[in-house]
Amino acid sequence: MPTFDFLPLLWWGLPLVAAPIVIHLINLLRHRRVPWAAMEFLLASQKKYRTRVLLKQLLLLALRVAAILGIVLAMAQPRWTNALGQLLGGGRSAHVVLLDDSYSMGERSGAGGGEAATAFDRGLAVVGRICGELATTRGRQEIAVGRFSRFTPPRGSIAPATADTVPPTGAAGRLDVARQTVTPEGVQRIRDSLAAMKPSASDAGPLGALAAAADVFGDGGGSKATQVLWVVSDFRTAQWDSADDTLAILRQFAAGGTEVRFIDCAGEGAAGEGSAGNLTVERLAMVGGVPAAGVVVPLEVSVRNDGARPARDVTVDLREDGVVRPGARIPEIPAGESALQRFDVRFQKSGSHVIEARLPADILPADDARSLVVDVVDRVDVLLIDGALADAAPGAASRAGDAFYLAAALAPGAGAPTGLQPRMEPPRALATLDLKAFDAVWVLDVERLDAPEVTALEAYARDGGGVVFFVGPRTKPDVVNRTLHRDGAGIFPVPIAGMVDLLPDAAEQRPDVVVEEHPVVAVLAGQRNPLLDAVRVDRYAAVERGWEPAPEAGLRRLLSLRNGAALMVERSYGAGIVAAVLTTASPAWNNWSRGNPSWVVVMLELESHLASGRRRAESLDVGDPVSVMLDPAVDGIEVDFLVPPDGTVVHQAARPAAAGRMEARLDTTNPGAYAVRWRRTDGLERERLFAVNVDPDEGQLARSGREGLEKVLAGVPFTYENAASIDPGARTQNGVSLVTPLLAILLGILLLEQLVAWLSSYHPATRRGAAA
Amino acid sequence: MTHASRRFLHPEAIARIARLELRARAVVEGVLAGLHKSPYKGQSVEFLQHREYVRGDDLRRVDWKVWGRQDRLYVKEFEEETNLRLALLVDGSASMDYRSGALSKYDYAATLAASLAWLALSHGDAAGCAVFDDKVRASVPARTKRSQLASVVEVLEAPRGGRPTAFLPVLRGLAETLPRRGLVVVISDLLGDREGVFQGLQLLRKRGHDIVLLHVMDDDELDFPFEGPTKFEGLEIPDHLACNPRALREGYLAAVGEFLAEARRRAASAACDYSLIRTGEPVDAALVKFLSRRASMAV
Repeated sequence: MPTFDFLPLLWWGLPLVAAPIVIHLINLLRHRRVPWAAMEFLLASQKKYRTRVLLKQLLLLALRVAAILGIVLAMAQPRWTNALGQLLGGGRSAHVVLLDDSYSMGERSGAGGGEAATAFDRGLAVVGRICGELATTRGRQEIAVGRFSRFTPPRGSIAPATADTVPPTGAAGRLDVARQTVTPEGVQRIRDSLAAMKPSASDAGPLGALAAAADVFGDGGGSKATQVLWVVSDFRTAQWDSADDTLAILRQFAAGGTEVRFIDCAGEGAAGEGSAGNLTVERLAMVGGVPAAGVVVPLEVSVRNDGARPARDVTVDLREDGVVRPGARIPEIPAGESALQRFDVRFQKSGSHVIEARLPADILPADDARSLVVDVVDRVDVLLIDGALADAAPGAASRAGDAFYLAAALAPGAGAPTGLQPRMEPPRALATLDLKAFDAVWVLDVERLDAPEVTALEAYARDGGGVVFFVGPRTKPDVVNRTLHRDGAGIFPVPIAGMVDLLPDAAEQRPDVVVEEHPVVAVLAGQRNPLLDAVRVDRYAAVERGWEPAPEAGLRRLLSLRNGAALMVERSYGAGIVAAVLTTASPAWNNWSRGNPSWVVVMLELESHLASGRRRAESLDVGDPVSVMLDPAVDGIEVDFLVPPDGTVVHQAARPAAAGRMEARLDTTNPGAYAVRWRRTDGLERERLFAVNVDPDEGQLARSGREGLEKVLAGVPFTYENAASIDPGARTQNGVSLVTPLLAILLGILLLEQLVAWLSSYHPATRRGAAA
Repeated sequence: MTHASRRFLHPEAIARIARLELRARAVVEGVLAGLHKSPYKGQSVEFLQHREYVRGDDLRRVDWKVWGRQDRLYVKEFEEETNLRLALLVDGSASMDYRSGALSKYDYAATLAASLAWLALSHGDAAGCAVFDDKVRASVPARTKRSQLASVVEVLEAPRGGRPTAFLPVLRGLAETLPRRGLVVVISDLLGDREGVFQGLQLLRKRGHDIVLLHVMDDDELDFPFEGPTKFEGLEIPDHLACNPRALREGYLAAVGEFLAEARRRAASAACDYSLIRTGEPVDAALVKFLSRRASMAV
């Protein structure tokens, strides 16, 4: 059964078939009059050849009609689909439409007021047109539609999704429109479902969706259906320029004969020169301090300008638990760069608080807001292990010990609330106390630590705890090296060669302490600080000569001495941070803690830095699961998730997890603050808040375009069309093209027409012929 | 030369004829005096024979020397060297009005007639002319006087009736009225009463006339080059035909071919000198060709 690629051309061209007949009829009315003498011969000829002439004229007319019909048919691009082949699936055409619904597709473009069309709107329109075209195409047309976000692998998964790693049944099951034969009724259902779709808040790339498409095509049962893959996207550089896995899958498509068609829906000029550009709240984070009630907590917000022009006087609106608070103003953000703005927040009550930063709406609203959940506590416990208390009675404390000076720095008093609650304990307490209850553990000039104490301390650090060591007269270098450093495997960052005096430097008058580049001491960096200049170090623990840390150890120096020796170092240890200050906390070897304000500042910063791995002031990305681990002994397993923005409640029963605990887990789809509520067995209701934000990288609207894709996807045949100019009718059709045989027939008809016309025409004879 | 004579006697034709004067003269003389031996016997310079006197013979032709020797009356007969009496019969029917070029068939025929008359008169022969359709519309008897050419041209230019041809009564009448045997040149397209043409020609032939039939046909009539829807309206036949000429051309040409073949055959059987002349052919060339043919026949 023939089908036509350009069916409208056929309908428009068919009337032309009547042209020869009309011309013939017109000619009949336009006779030339000739007075004629030899009428008798003419009449004789007419009498003799009447039938023959009539047949010849009819044949000529038929040939001309056929010629025009052939031309019209050829222009309509007919193809033959075998009915039996269709029945067996051989004439089938399978289309998989993958629609990018990452939040960059929410980019608005278009002139004029009102609600401008988004790239996603254009994408939906394209999908609708494709469905409509397929519905009017003869032959068995199948279609499946899926959005990128439906196939994004969980963020926790390590391996990228490939055709092999995405479970086939699962992938097919996540389609928005399961593979089905296209019918007019089905198209209406598809369009209805499309109308309800909106861009997601995810940064979903094409990889998972392409793998799913491969699976959908594979479900065809091995039939030789024509396969067409439509990718309707904005083709942002961030998603398509690092596409090794994508390239691999697309090559599989090419090898399998699948036609790949890219439809670009991005608005023209949205990210181009002269455009308003897109501002993105790139980061909202707590940068220090102790998140305790009544304590000033410094936060910082970073705004990126992806436009082609600098953005000036950018106002960032701030909300604290939904209440508007004074915003932050950024004077200027250069084009293509980010600007950082700090602001302080003081939480009056303990508990989880939501901070939201929001920019004025621009062409891409999805990345204009970012939220942060800060868990504020009444007090933050800090454990101070003082070697001086090793032999003392429990609870005793010396006013001359290291712990005293450190506690004075961490908790100066009611006039300067820090939220920290130092607790001084002897070394043996490390093995008995639950270290997880402490924000950080400070180990001050201990002579030795036993194995259980070292084990507990290292476990605490590996789980994200912060540990800092001070040395002093009791510290034995060989013990430290053997039990704590252990050639780099232990918790102590550096090996100690011995305790040495820092020789006076009367000639040059240089300060004893040199500030290195590190966030903890950043407040003291730059020009010479008189407070730090006043610090005198008499004695310190020297690092073994010639020792070099392993590159992977990540050792960083915070402070040095004027002779180049390290004074304060830190490194990561598991999920936590360990630091070592190679002098005393008390004034025994230095005068730093004796009334120098910089001592308080650096110690508070160090405490904040050490505890950063344990403090919950982070946010999740959309797609990350919100998860709470429950103790069945004290927690109920019925959990309610309140999903932003309208607080829709999703109820869930916690499921067993490792170590006898229960886990309630919900994949996030929207940005904002998620609340998880459950009831404890004692009847108290518990709540945890989670801030979920979009991936700011998705807000970078730079496009790959045709050239970029051709470069990245080298070797993959594809067609690239703009959504505005797409011609779904130009799609690949199933069946055999009849154009070539039709043209051959047309040529034959034209030759035959010429022959008949020649035979019916007068051709002047040559002079010789005339004479004869 | 009058304006009318200039119309039919194309200067070029006359010039070419003039350049061929010697040959033309020979042809004309052959036609008038050599080829067409005079059937008349009378006084002349060249003795032919003696025959016995019968009553009624002119006594001036009695050979008195023979009577003196033999006492018997014999008269002397000489081969008469009289001038040709040329009768030009031009078809002036409606069908002769068809034209595809500058000249209609009648114009062409009149030009031929005038040229022949001029040739005859210039050699001292008598030339007369008659234009006819279903009857003789104008005529002038053969004369040798100087003003005869003008008379001939006047006849050729006389108004015609636009009637169909009726050959037999016309030719019969002419056969009866032509006083002496001579050369009769019939110029016609032979369309119309085809049977009557040859019957009439045979009558003339029986009267002892030498018959030349110049069959004038237009190029269109011979080639039928028409294209496109055309309505043919009969000039003599009150009929019309709307058709695609290309489709009928083959049949038409076949019919014309049969017509020409029949004309040629029947002219031969009537001892007529038949020539087909196309109006697309230059008049002088046609005249020269005709005279040349006559010359070759005389050899």
